Amino acid sequence: MANNLCTELKVHLSSRHLHPTDAWLQTFISTVRPNTPIPALKQTCLFRLLATDITNSLDQPQSSLFPSDVLNAKAQSRFLAGPIVCQVLDIEDIGSSRWSQVESLEATERGETTKGREIIRVTDDEPNGAIPTSTISKGPFKILLQDAKGTKVYALDLSGTNGLHTGISMGTKLVIRNADVRRAVLMLEPGRTQILGGKIEALDKVWKEGRKERLMAAARAQNSEA
Amino acid sequence: MGRILCVAEKPSIAKAVANHLGGQVRAESIRGTQYIKNYKFDYNFQRWGESSVTFTCVAGHVQQQEFTDRYRKWHACQPSDLFDAPIHTFVAESKKAIAANIEQQARYANVLFIWTDCDREGEHIGTEIREIALKANRNLEVVRAKFSNIERAHIIAAARNPVPLDQAQANAVSARIELDLRLGAAFTRMQTLSLQNMIPQQGEERGKLISYGSCQFPTLGFVVDRYLRVRNFVPEPFWYIKVVHEKDDINVKFSWRRGHLFDRMAVTIIYERCLISKTAKVTKMQTKPTKKWKPLPLTTVELQKMGSRFLNMTSQEVMNVAEHLYTQGWISYPRTETDQFDAGMDLRALVQKQVQDSQWGGFAQGLVNGGFSQPRDGRNNDKAHPPIHPVNYVVPSTLNEQQRKVYQFVVRRFLACCSEDAVGEATDIEIEYGGETFHAHGLTVIARNYLDVYPFDKWESSQNLPQYTVGETFEPNEATMHDGKTSSPTYLTEPELIALMDANGIGTDATMAEHIAKIKEREYVISRTKGGGGGATTASTRGGAAAGRGRGRGRGGRGGRGGAAAQSGGASGGSGTGGVQEFIPTTLGIALIEGYDNVGIETSLSKPFLRKEMEVQMKAICEGRSTRNDVVQQNLDQYRAMFNRTTQQINVLKAVSISPLALLS
Repeated sequence: MANNLCTELKVHLSSRHLHPTDAWLQTFISTVRPNTPIPALKQTCLFRLLATDITNSLDQPQSSLFPSDVLNAKAQSRFLAGPIVCQVLDIEDIGSSRWSQVESLEATERGETTKGREIIRVTDDEPNGAIPTSTISKGPFKILLQDAKGTKVYALDLSGTNGLHTGISMGTKLVIRNADVRRAVLMLEPGRTQILGGKIEALDKVWKEGRKERLMAAARAQNSEA
Repeated sequence: MGRILCVAEKPSIAKAVANHLGGQVRAESIRGTQYIKNYKFDYNFQRWGESSVTFTCVAGHVQQQEFTDRYRKWHACQPSDLFDAPIHTFVAESKKAIAANIEQQARYANVLFIWTDCDREGEHIGTEIREIALKANRNLEVVRAKFSNIERAHIIAAARNPVPLDQAQANAVSARIELDLRLGAAFTRMQTLSLQNMIPQQGEERGKLISYGSCQFPTLGFVVDRYLRVRNFVPEPFWYIKVVHEKDDINVKFSWRRGHLFDRMAVTIIYERCLISKTAKVTKMQTKPTKKWKPLPLTTVELQKMGSRFLNMTSQEVMNVAEHLYTQGWISYPRTETDQFDAGMDLRALVQKQVQDSQWGGFAQGLVNGGFSQPRDGRNNDKAHPPIHPVNYVVPSTLNEQQRKVYQFVVRRFLACCSEDAVGEATDIEIEYGGETFHAHGLTVIARNYLDVYPFDKWESSQNLPQYTVGETFEPNEATMHDGKTSSPTYLTEPELIALMDANGIGTDATMAEHIAKIKEREYVISRTKGGGGGATTASTRGGAAAGRGRGRGRGGRGGRGGAAAQSGGASGGSGTGGVQEFIPTTLGIALIEGYDNVGIETSLSKPFLRKEMEVQMKAICEGRSTRNDVVQQNLDQYRAMFNRTTQQINVLKAVSISPLALLS
């Protein structure tokens, strides 16, 4: 039974290009009640897996990892067929200045947003985490990605991939296909980037809490450099 | 023959209206006041037949509200008692002679015909006049005139069609007066008593009053907020790409759709991708007619913004001058939110009056000869007054400089509204290059139309662009990567402040200028001419002597009403070197705002939210959706909660007040 279940889950996950380690899968199976229906188990399994750090939980085939020389900045352009599974470690809006992002974070902290010249109070009625549409930037975004072996690569989202913005959770899982890598930077394209979702709770928490400080520090560093 | 007592809001209106109705009228002096006259004449109002008329006036509000004696001394009670201390209403000392005159005249009259300005404040003054008159003669019929300028035909029409006083509007003002008195006095006493020992004294006679007003503070809040943004600002580098292509001997400069990005690595990679791709492809080539729309009809807020931007006058100066031009019969009532002209108005006739001018007469003649076009309609109509427009022609050289500037602006704006939009042809070219979009935009102005009379809008032809065809490819002559730096915001300018107050419901169009003047007078902010060099700071408008008599109430209303003439003389002492005024908060101003923000009330008094709600409720009273008492009670409850919170945490307020003052003074 356990073996059967194991296989079923593997098939289900691999259709999303996810290949969990046996250890992770065994641990998962040991925590579920045996009489749970299979479809529900599949969903729970995917959900739990997406909430992990993939450097611990996935054992991807070579083709689903960044090549070892991906960080060679001398390569003007190279092609990655993928599909490569990776997780988001950082995202930066490079379309607006860091300082303006700090200012808008501070306005949000004060519970304000602006509509034209009008200052509007954001009441707590909205469900938690609802971001007023006006504050969502169109980017473009610079994203730090990590594959299952821990290789970290910068990516640029220049074309506006739906679902990528500074409000996403850290640890969100992506599947990338047919990507162009330029000077060690991966170019994300909407049709070739699939967002599986998920997050890494601990990372996300630290990232969100420290975001304003990081932006301030980066702005000051940029300023002294320039 | 019936006796009609007419009462206007100020002497100039009484005189002008009396002269329109009675021809050469006889002026009688009144004991105890210099400025106010009774004009006597006979007139046939259709409604009452041939009547004997006495036309007099008041000078703004006649009545005053004050706490009863027990609460008037600063140390006689806790400031918090002022939230529900009894208030009594009485004829102000300086207005006793005026009130006596009305009583006297009312005794023999059958009808009281009120001619105060047609707005909320005027409605309330009307009820004050009514109260005084009815005391002397309970049988009076009371009506009011509805008018919005002092042009003869308009006045005669108003005399024929009296309407009842609007009690709802008067109630809204009465609510505002009570709230301003209670909140102003309570907070002013509380913060003054708590903080006065920490503020370095500036000029001994002025004491250490730290006044509060529910409009003043949000106004100050805007100034402080911008100041802090300027002070905290950190410049950052950015990078961008420019493409140049030469065609038909024209250097076409294409700019990047993305503008610029804040990451050098990203721009470098994109730039490289452009260079590798070698050729660019035209994806859009469009030439289409375009227009620059003529301006909307003129409202008060717009007049103040434009005045401080282009006429080198403060908003308060603009309003005082406009008031004067109105009472002289040259322009319509200058306090209006309306930006649409009634279809029934004969605008052509008004244009015709401007034909004789040496500067814009030719343009006006062109409109009369067929160039006239109905003005655009804005979205606001206060149903009381038309947009500000010239009602009569006056030879500009007979006006003083400021009057001339404002009159000219009103006329030019009006003529612009009545002419055609400017017409041009816009060319837009878009290319795709290395996966990125670049564009070039060109404009050819074909007919300037309204721009000829309205130099405040700029719309100029740009360089001609060559023809491209969609799908055409070419190799750019240049593709270059550049860098730049973000620049700091600037201190808040007067037009920006007015726009912020307007958008956030602080004050009414009629009172904004006064709130701005107030925070200057209180030395919470200083103003200087923008770009006027660091040293050119002028601690401007060291207001009239009437400023702070130790009572410190932040009036939301028009404090200087009726006394406008006296003010326009003194207030022009600002710097006159040209350019827009910008505001910088004083250390005291910053300390107050930061203090209240730190007290941690959910909606700090420095924010516009509460005051905005109050204005909305005033409107509700006017429209009969709410009552005076409900609004007053609700607001008092809300502010009382904040008052208590602030007194509990008074040390927070003190802490902030000490530190910056110690640091900077």
